[in-house]
Amino acid sequence: MIFREVEDRDLIAKARRGHVDAYNVLVSRWEKRVFNYLLRLAGNREDALDLSQDVFLKAYQNLKKLDDPAKFPSWLFRIAHNEAFSLLRKNRPEGELASEPVSGQSSARMFPAELSLAVEGALNRLSEDHREVVLLKIYQGFKFEEMAEILACPVSTIKSRLYTALDLLKQSLAPVNTGGA
Amino acid sequence: MSCSVDLKAYFLGELVSAERAVAEKHVNACQNCREELERLNATRAALLSLEEENPPQRIAFVSDKVFEPRWYQRFFSSGPVMGFASAAVLAVAILVHAFVHPAGAPAQQVDTAQVEQRIEQEVNARLDAAVTKAVSLSEERQDRKTAQILEAAEKRYEDQRRLDLADAQQAVTYYRQQFNRLMVANNDWGNRR
Repeated sequence: MIFREVEDRDLIAKARRGHVDAYNVLVSRWEKRVFNYLLRLAGNREDALDLSQDVFLKAYQNLKKLDDPAKFPSWLFRIAHNEAFSLLRKNRPEGELASEPVSGQSSARMFPAELSLAVEGALNRLSEDHREVVLLKIYQGFKFEEMAEILACPVSTIKSRLYTALDLLKQSLAPVNTGGA
Repeated sequence: MSCSVDLKAYFLGELVSAERAVAEKHVNACQNCREELERLNATRAALLSLEEENPPQRIAFVSDKVFEPRWYQRFFSSGPVMGFASAAVLAVAILVHAFVHPAGAPAQQVDTAQVEQRIEQEVNARLDAAVTKAVSLSEERQDRKTAQILEAAEKRYEDQRRLDLADAQQAVTYYRQQFNRLMVANNDWGNRR
């Protein structure tokens, strides 16, 4: 992890001096994580890909403004968060986010595809704010302080959102948990 | 739960070591918290069963030709080549000086730093132009999408309006027919009297 951090820092320093190759390495290193975060937030691949594209472009343009290269991950996800929510705000009047019905398999053993559907459904039923903290903590492994920087809100808000989201997920995935494993 | 331990912070790995030790001790002793922790772990396991997807295509920034360094960029960004070129230029300059200029004449210096700076400026200008172009393309794409969404919404609104109008016309025709029937019936009844 330390080596990885040093490498990122190195790449950032090079990219800041105009080495596009160094930036391309950074992109290829982070694109999957950023894409998946945006995919779960935006709900479709096309938007997630467009947003990822915009995120990396904006990051490149603003790379010189990044004070501490060690904070690149949370800085990058802050840009991703802003991009995603600006799209969600634009799309909101068009139609509410679909909450997909989950098949009521409470006791039968679930196959991986069914489990994925159940988890996707449970995530989709969360509000955007709740879903996002789960994505940042459980899937991306950020610390509370980093999440506070990404979402520009106090740690207490992050904790409260995450705890509520976990309670909701625990409830909606309870049938999966008891019947699945 | 009445326990004072922040079980979720413990589960999420957000406690410092001293707090973690206290929480661990508490969880071992408290059955409720142990069960709650098991439920949280099972929830996380279910969430992590969702596989990460690969982006359907590489981010364009990586493959975009405009960002690839040109031959002269590659040449001038290479340290050893620049060192060799500088040495060669210097050697040529010394030779030329020795043959052409008489002793005591002011030496003419080839400023490689200036050349390098000019090339860097050129490269930066091209890069900026490429980035600006990519940004405007991205904005265009967003605008196009917004326009499409608006157009679709307007079309839906127009269709709905047309349907409502047709329904209203149908209702008017129906009530007119009913009214006519009533009038005819009324006339018949009047004639019979």
